[in-house]
Amino acid sequence: MNWVQLTRAAHAGLRVDPALALSACATVHMVPLTYGEIRRVASDFPVVLAKDAETGQFYPAALLGLEPHENLYWNGARLAAEHVPLNLARLPFGLGGADLAAAVICVDLDSPGIVAEGGAPIVEADGRESPYFAGVQATLGELAGQVAPTRGFIEAAVQARLVVPIRLDIAFDNGSKAELAGLYAIDEAALLREIAGIDTETAMVLAAMALSIDRIGALVRRKNARLADAAVWFGADA
Amino acid sequence: MERMINSVCVVGGGSAGWLTAALIAARHRQPDGGGLTVTLVESTQIGIVGVGEGTWPTMRNTMRKIGVSETDLIRACNASFKQGAKFARWRTGADDDFYYHPLVLPEGFPQVDLAPHWNAIAAGHPEAPSFSDAVCFQEFLCENDLAPKLMTSPEYGGIANYAYHLDAVKLGQFLREHCTGKLGVRHIDDDIVAVQQAEDGDITAVVGTKSGPITADLFVDCSGFRSRLLGQALGVPFIDCNDVLFIDRALAVQVPYEEANAPIVSHTLSTGQKHGWIWDIGLQNRRGVGYVYSSRHAGSEPVEAELAAYIGPGFDKLPVREITIRSGHREVFWQNNCVAVGLSAGFLEPLEASALVLIELSADYIANAMPGTRSGMDVVARRFNEMTRYRWARIIEFLKLHYVLTERNDTAFWRDNRDPATIPEALQEQLELWRYAAPGEHDFTSAHEMFPAASYQYVLYGMGFRMDPRAHARTLRDRDAATAAFQRNAATKRKLAGMMPTNRSLLNKLAEFRFQPV
Repeated sequence: MNWVQLTRAAHAGLRVDPALALSACATVHMVPLTYGEIRRVASDFPVVLAKDAETGQFYPAALLGLEPHENLYWNGARLAAEHVPLNLARLPFGLGGADLAAAVICVDLDSPGIVAEGGAPIVEADGRESPYFAGVQATLGELAGQVAPTRGFIEAAVQARLVVPIRLDIAFDNGSKAELAGLYAIDEAALLREIAGIDTETAMVLAAMALSIDRIGALVRRKNARLADAAVWFGADA
Repeated sequence: MERMINSVCVVGGGSAGWLTAALIAARHRQPDGGGLTVTLVESTQIGIVGVGEGTWPTMRNTMRKIGVSETDLIRACNASFKQGAKFARWRTGADDDFYYHPLVLPEGFPQVDLAPHWNAIAAGHPEAPSFSDAVCFQEFLCENDLAPKLMTSPEYGGIANYAYHLDAVKLGQFLREHCTGKLGVRHIDDDIVAVQQAEDGDITAVVGTKSGPITADLFVDCSGFRSRLLGQALGVPFIDCNDVLFIDRALAVQVPYEEANAPIVSHTLSTGQKHGWIWDIGLQNRRGVGYVYSSRHAGSEPVEAELAAYIGPGFDKLPVREITIRSGHREVFWQNNCVAVGLSAGFLEPLEASALVLIELSADYIANAMPGTRSGMDVVARRFNEMTRYRWARIIEFLKLHYVLTERNDTAFWRDNRDPATIPEALQEQLELWRYAAPGEHDFTSAHEMFPAASYQYVLYGMGFRMDPRAHARTLRDRDAATAAFQRNAATKRKLAGMMPTNRSLLNKLAEFRFQPV
């Protein structure tokens, strides 16, 4: 990765192929989410909570794989999901700077999405920003605007004691195992107990998170299918 | 008619008073405000002793029980993480002489007992790793100023077992706010000038200059060394134990760090001196250091000179506080309707931080066993006295164990500590057994033990005690399991080396972020 601040002087000629840019997620097993997208994303992925290693604070995340660097939704060309999380849709762009209010747009110059030909320009021939780049800016704006609501949502869930640790101890068909620690979920029973004190919209998002944990079963099926394919490829006895 | 127990009055507002009030109130208060009423009377004029700065891991559970957040506790009390004690210059007095009493049990204990295996290895190899280092990874964390937990660890949970170093004065203030704000404890600031008693000796009221008589069904004496109720009013005698433990004075100082980001040591450092030993406890903002000594063996001048040499430049600018200690405890702790908790019950040198833990244990028992009636109180009192006497005896023996194996001959203080006449008989019997078998759970059969068998192993082998080689053959069981356990311990150290933050960096982070409840 090679993140630099985006400037018109240096990058006006940049062309981006968004589908190729998304391939950076091939080795990503967790993607941080914002409050506003959890309900949508939870229809595709298990939505869990994890702790930031530096600060110890919770953040919501979509679970894409069952071990680090594994994305079971990436089929080599596209992400097999209806809703792409904002933190993947923004690629190869991102927000940089310590202060959110004065954040600057950055670009990863090593991204496979930066192309010489094809793709979409970020600046049109007449000097205006391209529709593609306007979309990227909207996504980045949404990410910045969601920081505070997401934090508030998580704090409320922790305060109400809805967050519980989950431990994934999975045995796959071929006998191998995965252990995923450091994950947390919204506890369904706790949510039902506390629901009277929670506003409706927040309650729906919490419910979506609680129910999405069932999708971990789908991840295990994807993994088993992948292991079976690999066994055929390497000629091992399945 | 049966007299019901409806009210408790705690007299004294140090750590003992507020901890006891908090534990009783947390257990007995009803959401509607009913239940037992708990009142705490303190004289802010008198002040508190407040040097107790080391806790046991039990404090984590105590704080959780009374509904306190760990982040708030650490921030309010300038607390740091404590992972046991390092005893330096206790055995030979040499500069490189030290051992650890960590808070983590030996690897595999008690299923696999590494003690005999380590004894067999060490018998022919003086260069073999020390017992505490060979069987436990915590010494490695301590030697490197590493924390016992991560920023991602939940409140009160960690990678390694831990306790706290904290500012005892601030702990009192913190608990006072919690007790009055959250637990419904009534707080009265007043000087107690008299104690009113019924004919049977029961205390009916303590009389304050401003408030007049304050009545209650049960009085908890947390008045410190004065023992205002149990000792003075009820006349319960004090049992001295200075024939076993010689320490009776302390010179205490607070030492600032040389720079704001200086490392915070992750254990209590206890360094043997000529006439006693020096405690050294690192808080976030300063160190607490003190020399406890035996006034029968030395005057304060040579002691202060040793303390000055220990602290180094700047000592002459630090105010030194002298504290007189009376080693021992009351004959009983619960008499009539009065129970003593804290210094009013007794005190011993702070070698194993036994003061605060005894407060927690006593207060917890009082809260749990709170009798419903006055006549039931006599039964509870009898049990409490039996249990607490047992605990004091075990602590005295365990503290003495630190001394009896010393090889130091430089002063009478150390030589006298080896005199069999000063060693409790029970300890002498145990030492005889331990020549041929490692301390095990079979040696400690009471439900009220203070120290686990592993603690005795750490001190025994740290002080150079060795099993009789003739006993090795009989005690070396499960060789493969033992080898695996030694290897696991080494592997844990390697893993934690790349993973754990320093005590200082974790505490800096905690100033900005909070531990999560899960």
